[in-house]
Amino acid sequence: MEDRLKKALIEIVGEKNYNDSLIDMVSYSYDASEYTHRPSCGVWPQTVEHVSEILKLANKEEMPVIPRGGATGLTGMAIPLKGGIVLDLNHMNRIKKISIEDRLVVVEPGVVYDDLARAIAPYGFFFPPDPASSQVCTLGGNVATNAGGVRGAKYGTTRDYVLGLQVVLPDGRIMKTGSQCIKSVSGYDLTKLFVGSEGTLGVVTEITLKINPMTTASTTALGTFDDVEDAGRAVSQVMHSGILPAVLEILGKEAIMAINQNTDLNLPEVDAILLSETDGYTQEETDYQMSKVLEVFKANNAKEIKQAQSKDEAAGLWAARKSAYAVLARLKTHQVLEDVTVPMSRLAEALKGIQEISKKHNIMIATYGHAGDGNLHPQFVYDGYDQDQVKAKRAASDDLFRMAIELGGTLTGEHGIGMQKARYMCWEHDDVAMDVMRSIKRMVDPKNILNPGKMALDEG
Amino acid sequence: MRDNMEAKYDFERKFRDQVLQCSRCGFCQSVCPVFGATLRPAYNARGKMLLLKEVMDGTLDLNDELIETLFQCTTCGACAENCPSGVEVPEIIKQARKDMVHIGSCHPAFTGMNKVLKEHDNIYAEDEPEDFERERNGKAEYVFFIGCVGSYREDERTTATLDLLDYLEVDYTLIDEVCCSGVLEDVGHPINEKHVRTNIDLIMATGAKTVITGCPYCSRTFNNKKQYAELKEKGVKCIHLSQFLKDIDIGFKTDKKVTYHDPCDLGRHCGIYEEPRDTIRKIAPNFVEMRHHHEKALCCGAGGGVRGAYAANSIAMARRRLEEAEEAGAEVLLTECNSCVHNLANAKLRKQKLKIYTTTEFINLLREED
Amino acid sequence: MEVQGYNMPEDLYYEENHLWVREEGDLLVLGMDDFAQRMAGDIVYVQLPDEGKRLKKGKKFAKLESGKWLGKAFAPVNGELVEVNEDLEINPGLINEDCYGEGWMYKVKPDDKAELGDLIKGAEAIEKWIAADLEKYAQE
Repeated sequence: MEDRLKKALIEIVGEKNYNDSLIDMVSYSYDASEYTHRPSCGVWPQTVEHVSEILKLANKEEMPVIPRGGATGLTGMAIPLKGGIVLDLNHMNRIKKISIEDRLVVVEPGVVYDDLARAIAPYGFFFPPDPASSQVCTLGGNVATNAGGVRGAKYGTTRDYVLGLQVVLPDGRIMKTGSQCIKSVSGYDLTKLFVGSEGTLGVVTEITLKINPMTTASTTALGTFDDVEDAGRAVSQVMHSGILPAVLEILGKEAIMAINQNTDLNLPEVDAILLSETDGYTQEETDYQMSKVLEVFKANNAKEIKQAQSKDEAAGLWAARKSAYAVLARLKTHQVLEDVTVPMSRLAEALKGIQEISKKHNIMIATYGHAGDGNLHPQFVYDGYDQDQVKAKRAASDDLFRMAIELGGTLTGEHGIGMQKARYMCWEHDDVAMDVMRSIKRMVDPKNILNPGKMALDEG
Repeated sequence: MRDNMEAKYDFERKFRDQVLQCSRCGFCQSVCPVFGATLRPAYNARGKMLLLKEVMDGTLDLNDELIETLFQCTTCGACAENCPSGVEVPEIIKQARKDMVHIGSCHPAFTGMNKVLKEHDNIYAEDEPEDFERERNGKAEYVFFIGCVGSYREDERTTATLDLLDYLEVDYTLIDEVCCSGVLEDVGHPINEKHVRTNIDLIMATGAKTVITGCPYCSRTFNNKKQYAELKEKGVKCIHLSQFLKDIDIGFKTDKKVTYHDPCDLGRHCGIYEEPRDTIRKIAPNFVEMRHHHEKALCCGAGGGVRGAYAANSIAMARRRLEEAEEAGAEVLLTECNSCVHNLANAKLRKQKLKIYTTTEFINLLREED
Repeated sequence: MEVQGYNMPEDLYYEENHLWVREEGDLLVLGMDDFAQRMAGDIVYVQLPDEGKRLKKGKKFAKLESGKWLGKAFAPVNGELVEVNEDLEINPGLINEDCYGEGWMYKVKPDDKAELGDLIKGAEAIEKWIAADLEKYAQE
């Protein structure tokens, strides 16, 4: 890091909010993905003015800036691929406002999801999109990737809840988008442009989120299936049941086995388990909804049906589901998680297709995910030191995305593109769409300093 | 990639698979006390595992630059408790510290501590122990082993404990104890065999069948370190004070709202959660738990040598724990570890009305009020 | 003035365990002197007793800690503690940074200001005292 630039950054944030020591640079080289690259330094901005000054400086010096929150992203969004300054937003972690009557909260990007949940729970409210990483992920990141979570089928994703943002553009200008109203159609919807933009169009420094009243009753149940296609068909047919479960998750055999290694749950190690939750305001109602779901399970050859007998038991099952990504790490040295999403009617085919790809390339693919909105999480688990397995994984990935797109699906339901899926962007998007995306990027970031090298925006 | 090369360090030989098992999920960030107080990812378990992975891959070598993170860990074990991928971080860190010391790279506080224990019989290099005005090295059913913190930094609380034991007419004797020296192995150095020998000899000479320790660190050392196995072999049991008290009906009561802080060394490291609570619930029916308790208890920040080497951060961690006590509405916070109580008491702000005691100190207080 | 490299202002009174004392109107301001602060190293904790506490001359009334050392503050006079430097709660390092200024510790209302006469004062007395202490520490 050039001394002159170091001095300039310290001038902005103060000496204790700048670091370039080895141990920090190593941490900042990684997120939860498989990628790594060293940055030049890290800074901890405390205010939006800091962020603005830093971007102004970086823009002038043509130095890359990479925003970073909890760094739980799986696609390499927070990796400083071209070096530069890591903008560690974790110190901007205040919940600035809770307004129950306006049904909203205003938060800084470094607020951890679970901390927000805990702050609004006493009012009987919750923020529905809850990613599996909720105990560590930060809301700035959730906005950057339009995070989903297990309640997506009924409650939607982050984008459905962002009412407005404060954003700092790559040239340092500070902009407000959206409003404090539940709905608005005033001008272009800039808010929705920035949600899911993966830190490539601007740095989010304040988020206004819509929140929902909590439901007070719920029913949780699981069904076991000896054939994963049966499970897939069951999921599609739940759409005919007349009700919408709050959660409908699938766990494949490898995921079940890994979870059993980490907990005392002793889940039956079958081809697939469907885990569902219905919610509402009376137990009678949620039980009724669940009975509809279970009818569909039974009609599709569910072998065993089990209902959770207590809130603790239900909580245990959901905690296990949320740990699926990391428990699979016990099996082999490397794992890469994908999140291809297909239309609900094609789910059974997708599940079968994944099994075939796994057989064809002789590589383990553990599948689990948000079956209720068609969002699967096929996880490649392999020995990353074995070059044959690395090659097999690459080829299997190609087949996976090819299949998903053929089924009318999309590369990613909620994790984003980042580095991981950049090379497949042109498989899903036509040339015109890619051109428009790149034009928008060039317009707000002509020097390409903000999180460069991601989302295939640099090519073309 | 260094997969086919000879492992260069012991931490690789023993823990290679586990280091590789780290999936980088970051769940440890939500429970790590050092990360919680500093928000610096380099200090978090994930950050440490990433460094060690790079060492294993040959990208980095162990060196002085790693001291700041490898020696700044209370080894509280919350990360391991919360890790879905099964990485036993504290064990890996302790072994990496040994590797660091082996190549001459160590935090000066711990090099200093090792030296101090070679020349003195306690970690503070104090030459005169507090005189607790009790018999030492007598013959009795129990030995009460105080520990360094209790002897030299929390002597008033130790006096309260001894007053209570006297009131309960326990047949105990003190000994001219020296540091159990268990802390050394946690910070990269070997246990001090001379001190081990002194302690064992003094204990055996009393004829006692049970050693009661005031400090969970000491009881963990006596029970788990092979150098102290001789005690067990010779039929001497070592228990912590909370285990001794749990069946005794002490009889004093308070209606204050009381909470309990699980010391890492008693709780996560030894599985002792209920015995202290049994005693406390008897004297304080108005008992509340903090947000993080039992296996999820939040570390006070003193352990693993951090209070000695990184005192400011150590106290910052203790402040976070006190916030949880306030959040629970507690008027009194009790704990069973002198190290914890020392750090928490130092961290308490003047405006915080909360009172902090060891359990026995509190019981003794109630007795005196009676 | 400088005594063997330590900054020991001549116009202050000193209690032999290394507290400095300065008159401020009716009150006395107390702090830790440069000699002690350097011996101790980074101060990590300072005990700040409640206002109103009675101080007994020669007796310990508060403790402080650095990474490796536990120190005691001894009352230089009989009196009452009326104010403490609350900044030291969050930033005990002020004692190391500016022991005679921002790192002041306690303010005391003395029973009898004449007791100041029992303390160390003046260049000659300070020099002798520091020299003796240096010898004492060298032997340890």
